[in-house]
Amino acid sequence: MSKSTILSGTDLSKKYGDLEVVKGVSLAVNEGEFICLVGKSGCGKTTLLSLLSGLEKPTKGKVTLDGREITTSSEDELALFRRDNVGFIFQSFNLIPTLSAWENVALPLFPIKMTSEERRRRATELLDKMELGHRMDHLPSALSGGEKQRVAIARALVNHPKIIFADEPIGNLDSGTGEAIMGILNRLHKEEGVAILMVTHEDELAKTANRLIRMKDGEIMS
Amino acid sequence: MNLRYMTKELYYQKRRTVMSILGLSIGIALLIILNSLSLAYRQAAHVPLKEIGADITVQRSGDVPKDLAGAVFPCSAVTIRKEEVEKIQKLPGVRGIGTGLLLWVFDPTRAWIVLGIGKENSIGPSLLRSSVTEGRFLEDGKPEALVEQAYARQFGIKLNDTISVADNKFPVVGFVDASRAAKIAVANVYLPLKEAEDLAASSKELQSVSPYAPGDVNLLFIKADQEKITSLASEMKGILGNKVTVATPDSFLKLLGSLFALSDKFTLAASLIAIIVAVLIAFKTMAGNIAERAREIGVLKAVGWTNRDVVSQLMSESVIQCFMAGILGLLIALVASFGLSFMKVNIPIPWEMSPTPHFLPGGGDQIFKTLRLPVHIPWTLAFFAVLLSIIIGGLTGGLLGRHISKIKPSEVLRHE
Repeated sequence: MSKSTILSGTDLSKKYGDLEVVKGVSLAVNEGEFICLVGKSGCGKTTLLSLLSGLEKPTKGKVTLDGREITTSSEDELALFRRDNVGFIFQSFNLIPTLSAWENVALPLFPIKMTSEERRRRATELLDKMELGHRMDHLPSALSGGEKQRVAIARALVNHPKIIFADEPIGNLDSGTGEAIMGILNRLHKEEGVAILMVTHEDELAKTANRLIRMKDGEIMS
Repeated sequence: MNLRYMTKELYYQKRRTVMSILGLSIGIALLIILNSLSLAYRQAAHVPLKEIGADITVQRSGDVPKDLAGAVFPCSAVTIRKEEVEKIQKLPGVRGIGTGLLLWVFDPTRAWIVLGIGKENSIGPSLLRSSVTEGRFLEDGKPEALVEQAYARQFGIKLNDTISVADNKFPVVGFVDASRAAKIAVANVYLPLKEAEDLAASSKELQSVSPYAPGDVNLLFIKADQEKITSLASEMKGILGNKVTVATPDSFLKLLGSLFALSDKFTLAASLIAIIVAVLIAFKTMAGNIAERAREIGVLKAVGWTNRDVVSQLMSESVIQCFMAGILGLLIALVASFGLSFMKVNIPIPWEMSPTPHFLPGGGDQIFKTLRLPVHIPWTLAFFAVLLSIIIGGLTGGLLGRHISKIKPSEVLRHE
């Protein structure tokens, strides 16, 4: 693993019963790199993302994130590791409906000992960057799809992650809003230097990435 | 545990919160009400004896006199010897004894129920001192009488009149209102114990049925340590024989016939059912609530919440909901107990304890002590109920939280 590699998966396989969804995949992500994982629905790209982010354990193979092998870690160790190093963006935003925009952004910070003011300050900074400063106290139900995803991006950034995993981040958005979100992700990647591993089934989106990885039937094609 | 998250969850998920709180509060209210009712019946059972300042009354049955002439003992209250009284006095747990001598006096023109009372004793019918409505109470060493107010009115007896009881003259020095008394040890005429003893000792009819000597009595009113009442009752039966009637709060409780009064076991069983129902309601409602939040829990874990973080968050929500349910249950129970306190309860007085001869008009009727059920919620019960709610909340939240925290975020987040 080179010095600039922050994430590597080696010979990763994942089986659900007899069904092998990911088949011996190896993949490395370098610091600040923007990678798109492209493939049709059911090809195993979301499962691969789960394996690489530590949300799921592989049946075989190992994952090293920021120099630490995470495949042998306990569930709580993995959670703490994700809290400190990883951000997530989901297709359906997955915001907590009872929390306001800034509280959703601060959600990863809730279990950490810090004052509410500090949490709010960090969330406000990020929401301002997402041009949502005026929507801080609104509940998700009062936000548009694009605004919800921008809140989700702010949440992914609140812990200063080394890598963001984005699973179909614009899958639920109209094309205009989707473009705007992609613009934000590109800007983050360029300005903040954060690595992004994005899963999508749209080739068009992959054009903005540094690297394109195609998956088919649980294997990497290119 | 994040307080902001918890309060917002409870506030914005009103339906979930209200359902959980309502469900459990009904169970808690039921638990409190059942126990308050049981307690109220127990307290009611103390009233007939408490009103004459005693915890136990004792009398012994005997034979019916052949001729109803002059002074006789009621067949339900014959001689209790002075030595027997002394033995009872020495029993551990006996704090004091009041005595009385109940006589039926059949004069040619009138029948009297006469009760001889120890004037200075604070236990027993001398408590009537506070019920004097006119004139004064009996004084030491004077052959004088107190007459029951209603009886005096019925027969036109006036203050300072002289009444003749078994050929003995007694000036009437006062009237007493015994209508609010316990229906036990009430009489038409009250005499100093010494005078009643003389009447009894000089009556041939009485002596032929139940030999009597001055110092003997036929009614005992006993103050005792509460926890020893039951054992004392059986010891007294040992001293006085099989024909003795020992009345205790427990014996009155049995006469009440209510399920709440019948046994501690019923209350315990009903309370257990209420607790189990409360736990099941809390568990089922919260299990449903938490299952609805599986995706949310997945998000929390994905963004770095440990199992412990998730459990403590869910547990705190559950504890607060159950605490509120406990408070609401307590309020419901307070309202219900206020309503129930208007309920009247009739405590039957056993015929043996009724002073009126059964062959006189109305003498055979069942008499009752009627009172409002003294329903109240002791603070210990209130505290226990709220504490129980919190424990239920902690256990429910802890168990369900542990279960749901094992969820894999990838499982709930992958199916978009």
